[in-house]
Amino acid sequence: MRQYAEKLGRATVSGLEELGYALSLFVESFYWIFFGYRRGQSVSIAATFKQMMQVGVAAIPISAALSFAVGIMLAIQGIHTLKAFGAESQVVVGIALSVTREFAPLIIGILIAGRSGSAIAARVGTMQVSQEIDALQVIGISPVRYLVAPALLAMMVMVPTLTFFADIVGMLGGAFFSVLELNISMEAYVDRTIKALTVDDILQGIWKSIVFAIIIAVVGFINGFSVTGGAEGVGKATTRSVVQAISLIIVADMAFTFYLNH
Amino acid sequence: MTTTKKISSEPVIEVQDLVAHYGSREVLHGINLSIHDGEIMVIMGGSGSGKSTVLRHMLGLNTPSSGAVKLLGQDITRITSKEIDILRRNIGVSFQGGALFNSMTVGENIILPLREHTQLDEKTMQIMCRMKLELVSLAGFEDLMPAQLSGGMVKRAALARAIIMDPKLLFFDEPSAGLDPVVSAELDELILRIRQAMKTTIVVVTHELDSTFRIADRITVLDEGNVLMVGTVDEVRNSKNKRIMDLLGRRVREIKIDAEEYLNRLTGEQVRETG
Amino acid sequence: MGELRAVTYKITQHAGYSVVHLKGDVDLSTSPIARKLILECIEAKHSVLVDLSEVAYIDSSGVASLVEGYQLAKTNGVEFGLVNVSQAALDVLQLARLDTVFPIHASLDDLSKVMR
Ligand SMILES: Nc1ncnc2c1ncn2[C@@H]1O[C@H](COP(=O)(O)OP(=O)(O)OP(=O)(O)O)[C@@H](O)[C@H]1O
Ligand SMILES: [Mg+2]
Repeated sequence: MRQYAEKLGRATVSGLEELGYALSLFVESFYWIFFGYRRGQSVSIAATFKQMMQVGVAAIPISAALSFAVGIMLAIQGIHTLKAFGAESQVVVGIALSVTREFAPLIIGILIAGRSGSAIAARVGTMQVSQEIDALQVIGISPVRYLVAPALLAMMVMVPTLTFFADIVGMLGGAFFSVLELNISMEAYVDRTIKALTVDDILQGIWKSIVFAIIIAVVGFINGFSVTGGAEGVGKATTRSVVQAISLIIVADMAFTFYLNH
Repeated sequence: MTTTKKISSEPVIEVQDLVAHYGSREVLHGINLSIHDGEIMVIMGGSGSGKSTVLRHMLGLNTPSSGAVKLLGQDITRITSKEIDILRRNIGVSFQGGALFNSMTVGENIILPLREHTQLDEKTMQIMCRMKLELVSLAGFEDLMPAQLSGGMVKRAALARAIIMDPKLLFFDEPSAGLDPVVSAELDELILRIRQAMKTTIVVVTHELDSTFRIADRITVLDEGNVLMVGTVDEVRNSKNKRIMDLLGRRVREIKIDAEEYLNRLTGEQVRETG
Repeated sequence: MGELRAVTYKITQHAGYSVVHLKGDVDLSTSPIARKLILECIEAKHSVLVDLSEVAYIDSSGVASLVEGYQLAKTNGVEFGLVNVSQAALDVLQLARLDTVFPIHASLDDLSKVMR
């Protein structure tokens, strides 16, 4: 019994330590973003743009495909469920709200966690193993400024952007199926979507996605920096970062949804 | 060695009562070292003796449990991160595996410290980069990626990056590990020439004896987290200390072979008596 | 850039050359001044001599500036050389094997004597 209590205690401490580390990474990144120039160490705009290309622009096709599919799926399920009440025309409202408030941020969050969170962990882990992180440090380049800040910034811009993009494509997917199935015109569909949606619905999804972006970046970096034990360690850290990021995204999503709707 | 060894008395690197832990295990038990301006100090010792750990503390990559590390008069365990960044412009490090940034060309690797810390003209930086590449016999390789270099070339490129800012202090982790004797001797020669021209203070961590005796002004011998001896090449060579003689390979540890026990070890079995 | 060092300079005319007298430390923070000076003289189609007698320390950014000057002098068809090179500076040039590249004169009084 005492053993378990001790184990739990230790797990809590290390969990809190990681949380503290995560917080310090986040705060330090913003210190460099805002005050780096004072120390002659600005966060590189070029590096940030490069990250934005990798995180965001390169993910456009897959984001489009996934959110279009989710839109169709929501339409199918929605029409099927609402038919029981004879209210299938209400599907438009359902799709609009669930895509913007829930599905677009979630899909994009999970996609980017798998795509870019893992890439961060792998890249940083490899750099850790090959002593490139040590090299940065002894050259006098803060790894947080040089690696974390650009990626974090890129994530915080591109994940919400992709989410907004997924809002539109997702609703288009829903429209595509509903228009065919319900025999309504595209104009009517768009019109009703606009009437159903408020700015708040869209913002709710965007706020979430910013939080997801921070989770993905910070989790990726923590796992990358803590790699020990060669190539195998890099593999483990990569997997761990994806699992952790997705789990945290879902938990955060739940908390967010609960909080925002109460 | 024919080079004159001019050693002033003022220490530029001082390690005082350094105690270090990994987790709860104490691996350095109060190390004292002092290295003079323009000196080449070789830190040697057996595997696991704590050489790399001492080096990491001298570079400020690890924080000691207690003790002080003074570089150019500043205690790096006490100064702010801003002060340490400024101090680091006077320090060059060549890591064991080179630690070149894999996403950049060799040239970009070498120029990086200049880009980050100076306002030099692009043309000046390029010329400096090529000068250093010439120095390490890698002329014309600036556009290659690190992955396209051999092990010895990576080491030389890493040295070029370490000296691009003409540092006052140069740290070198295992310069000759994994290199053939000829390349290794060339690298030693280069270390001596850099000291000669730039008056650099150089700390080398190695367990290669030939290399040590070629370049060292003084040698620090580490053993299980303690300083066993500090002395000149001759003093270390002539030491009567048993552990040092072991390290220098002048005594082969006696290995008595118990035939039966040996056979058991190899087969992993108990030899059955056949009567 | 760490402790601030200073470089001061003076330009005189001698035997058809613009002589750039540098004084102090030519290092990462001060070499851009020396570079600008030398390049400007050469751009103006002057033959240039750099007097290093009062240079206490020159690092590779300083040497790189001299290399750039020499190159520009060649393309502009003017002459370029170094005079009064101290042993410390010569060590640095030798390390980069540049002592065989630059025309190095022993003194301003006897420019015909090229020191190697
Ligand atoms: N990251 C680490 N975590 C835990 N223990 C470590 C770590 N690195 C080194 N040690 C331990 O510290 C001691 C000193 O190791 P260190 O790497 O400094 O030795 P070394 O002299 O560099 O050996 P080698 O010549 O094999 O590189 C060893 O007992 C080693 O097991
Ligand atoms: Mg080691």
